[in-house]
Amino acid sequence: MATNKKHSLTGFYWLWFALTVVGVIISIWAPAYLMPQSMSSNMNLTILTMVVFSVAAAPVAAGVYAATAYLLRHNIYRGNSVPPAAEVQTRENARLTIGWVLASTLLTVFLLIWGLGALTVDNGGNESNPLVVNVTGQQWLWSFSYAGTHVESNTLVLPLDREVVFHITSKDVTHGFWIAQMGIQVDANAGAITELHTTPNKLGTFDIRCTQFCGLNHAFMVTQGQVMTTQGFDNWLAAQPQRA
Amino acid sequence: MTTTLQHAPTKAGGGLARRQNFLTALISGVVFAWLAWYIGRHTLDTTTRSFSDQVAVLTACGWTVGFWFGIGALNGPGRWLTGRDHTRADDLYYAGENQGRARYWKYCTDHKVVGVQYIIMTMVLLGTGGILAMAIRTQLLTPGNHFVDQQVYNGFIAVHGMLMILALIVAVAGPWANFVVPIMIGAHDMAFPRLNALSLWTLVAAAGLLLTTLAVGSLPVGWVVLAPISNQAGVGMDFFAMAIIVFTVSTTVAGINTIATVMTLRTKGMTLSRLPIFVWGSVIAAALGLYAFPYFLTVEAIQILDRTVSTSFFVATGGGAGWLQANLFWLMGHPEVYVILIPAVAALFEIAAVMSRKPVFSYRTAIAGMTGLAGLSILVWAHHMFTTGWAPTLGGPFMLTTELISIPTGLFFLVLLGTLWRGNIWMKLPTLWLFGFVFNFIIAGITGIYLSDIPIDNQLHGTMFVTAHFHYVFVGSVLFGAIAALAFWFPKVSGRYLDETQGKISFWLVFIGVQVTFLAMFTSGLRGMPRRYSSYSMIFEHTNFVTTMGAYMIMAGMLVLLGAVISSWRKGEPSGPNPWQANSLEWLVPTPPPLENFDVLPTIKEDPYNFGGKR
Ligand SMILES: [Cu+2]
Repeated sequence: MATNKKHSLTGFYWLWFALTVVGVIISIWAPAYLMPQSMSSNMNLTILTMVVFSVAAAPVAAGVYAATAYLLRHNIYRGNSVPPAAEVQTRENARLTIGWVLASTLLTVFLLIWGLGALTVDNGGNESNPLVVNVTGQQWLWSFSYAGTHVESNTLVLPLDREVVFHITSKDVTHGFWIAQMGIQVDANAGAITELHTTPNKLGTFDIRCTQFCGLNHAFMVTQGQVMTTQGFDNWLAAQPQRA
Repeated sequence: MTTTLQHAPTKAGGGLARRQNFLTALISGVVFAWLAWYIGRHTLDTTTRSFSDQVAVLTACGWTVGFWFGIGALNGPGRWLTGRDHTRADDLYYAGENQGRARYWKYCTDHKVVGVQYIIMTMVLLGTGGILAMAIRTQLLTPGNHFVDQQVYNGFIAVHGMLMILALIVAVAGPWANFVVPIMIGAHDMAFPRLNALSLWTLVAAAGLLLTTLAVGSLPVGWVVLAPISNQAGVGMDFFAMAIIVFTVSTTVAGINTIATVMTLRTKGMTLSRLPIFVWGSVIAAALGLYAFPYFLTVEAIQILDRTVSTSFFVATGGGAGWLQANLFWLMGHPEVYVILIPAVAALFEIAAVMSRKPVFSYRTAIAGMTGLAGLSILVWAHHMFTTGWAPTLGGPFMLTTELISIPTGLFFLVLLGTLWRGNIWMKLPTLWLFGFVFNFIIAGITGIYLSDIPIDNQLHGTMFVTAHFHYVFVGSVLFGAIAALAFWFPKVSGRYLDETQGKISFWLVFIGVQVTFLAMFTSGLRGMPRRYSSYSMIFEHTNFVTTMGAYMIMAGMLVLLGAVISSWRKGEPSGPNPWQANSLEWLVPTPPPLENFDVLPTIKEDPYNFGGKR
């Protein structure tokens, strides 16, 4: 029973192509649809990178799935006992192996160059007059103080289109400071100050959630913030009680 | 044996070991633990803040030593020290000669018995971790659910994580590097049979300590238990740290044994290029484990010092650094993933060849892929720390090393698909789980690439996306590989097939369950749900409900599998010694293999992948 005679690969190539197309469509649609609406340049870049990486990965996944489908279609032995030896007993195929390594290396290099480029853009931070906010985590709330003022608040309000620098620390255990709509995250460590930069580019509310397990009420260490116009922000700041 | 007895006429072999088994080990462990606790309570300074931690560590030490004593682990060294080393009769007794089923509950040095004990141990760990997973998912069924107390839930998160990690570290290497590797290379047993028993029973002792944490206030601080949060945990943390230290002893002993066995006990003609590929995988994983696990021991030993004698290695307020601990932890934590993965992949290479009646495609590439992965894995640890704030300038270099991992991982697909390509694929249970692995592992791999990219990681780190990613690795890939290996070698262990029908039902439940559970979990993460939440807001309601339903499906599938293993072991269809018509040595000995495997060691003339077709 020669189930392993050479079948044409045309079907495989078509399936590969079709799955790639489906993968690319999903790659373009899904990140923006599933992820929180972007409110900063960092988040725009994150979503774009998700799309680019997904598109790059689509032919790889499609190839593996098409090959699997091809095997299931053509190479399953239908007899009841041990199948005979396969007619082709290939042990090596140097061209295929080298090609495979080259292709995966090229893909990796591309992802890496994109990633390093995106990292440089992402780190940004060269505006001359950024707003500096000191963030302090403690079990289980966040507090924010605005440098150059005496304002300390439990809500984070940011002005539109102005760079913000966060200086982040913790009073007790490690917390994770994350703004879900802005693609920025860093730990708040006791005894150290960590830094984040971003520029909010959209008005509205955003969510701050703790991403490091920090004890009993970790799940409730959430707070909302707001991006306001420069005028609105100045008014808000002026209306806050001054710390002694 | 009778001839041996004439040389030692005073008594039969075994001595004290004749009275020792798992039950005496438990009793002795508890008694020693109580003694250590009692002595600690009455001699240590009760006024120090760390008094209870000191007592807890002493108790854990007492348990371990008592367990070793009670099971018989100390007999050999004791006899050697007193100049009455084991006779041949003793060795045969320890190997379980003529002891029937009782030997599975004893300090048995026969590698096949140890292999079976590892199968049982894996099932116990997976089962306990699985029950905790069900509790976690039930808590997360609806927003604001109160199925388990929040503090208890937080402890479940940590213990579930650690139990599953331990279960998967031993899931393939434990049963099969012990049961089949010595036969595969043509050896009578492992290089160090007594150390082999030691590694198994030390694992049991460690599991006992880990489960004790649940009884003494648990571990509501996450499975990585990094300071300073770990210092808010009670004595459960001390038992956890001791469990890891004891576990590290177990893996070190096991790793050395595997490497020494393959290096020294290969039969005539079993050159390195004729080794079955699973042997290569076992050795590479064991070597990587020898590199990685000492970090784990170091982290937990230092943590114990911080807790019991007021050092502050990891406490920033005392001049230490939490980042130091994070670095040490992940120096272990990343290689550990490949200690877990490589044996599973190597077993699948073996299965792919035998079931498609073709040689392993590009044997050298397979070895290069596993070695490359092991080598790279020690250079990538800081990708777990991209968002900690530690050394932002090292982000680029670690992104580079991490993304290079795609290359050896890609080779695994080349070897697997290349082996199956144009084969005569025999679609039995092992093959079915193999295809499941291929499907899931590509998802695991691609989602890992997102997380290796720092701008994306800054969004997704610490969310359910990460949890879903590593569950595709551990459940979707490693567990599928482990079950394929179980189905493949089950006939050699039991003389019976693992039931095809029940096995298939189990496969489809687990396979679909994995997709439902973790695809929905990816969505929770993308939408912005952090990990380790005991409660969540309405926006994550639907995806969590779906995830919980999927998790129940996986559990149902695993229970069907457990039923299949038990019923097939007792009265499954007899398989004969070589049901898959494979050529490697473990299939050429009788089933069950006799004590010491071979009367006369075979001579090897070619690798086991010649299935008789044209070249
Ligand atoms: Cu927190």
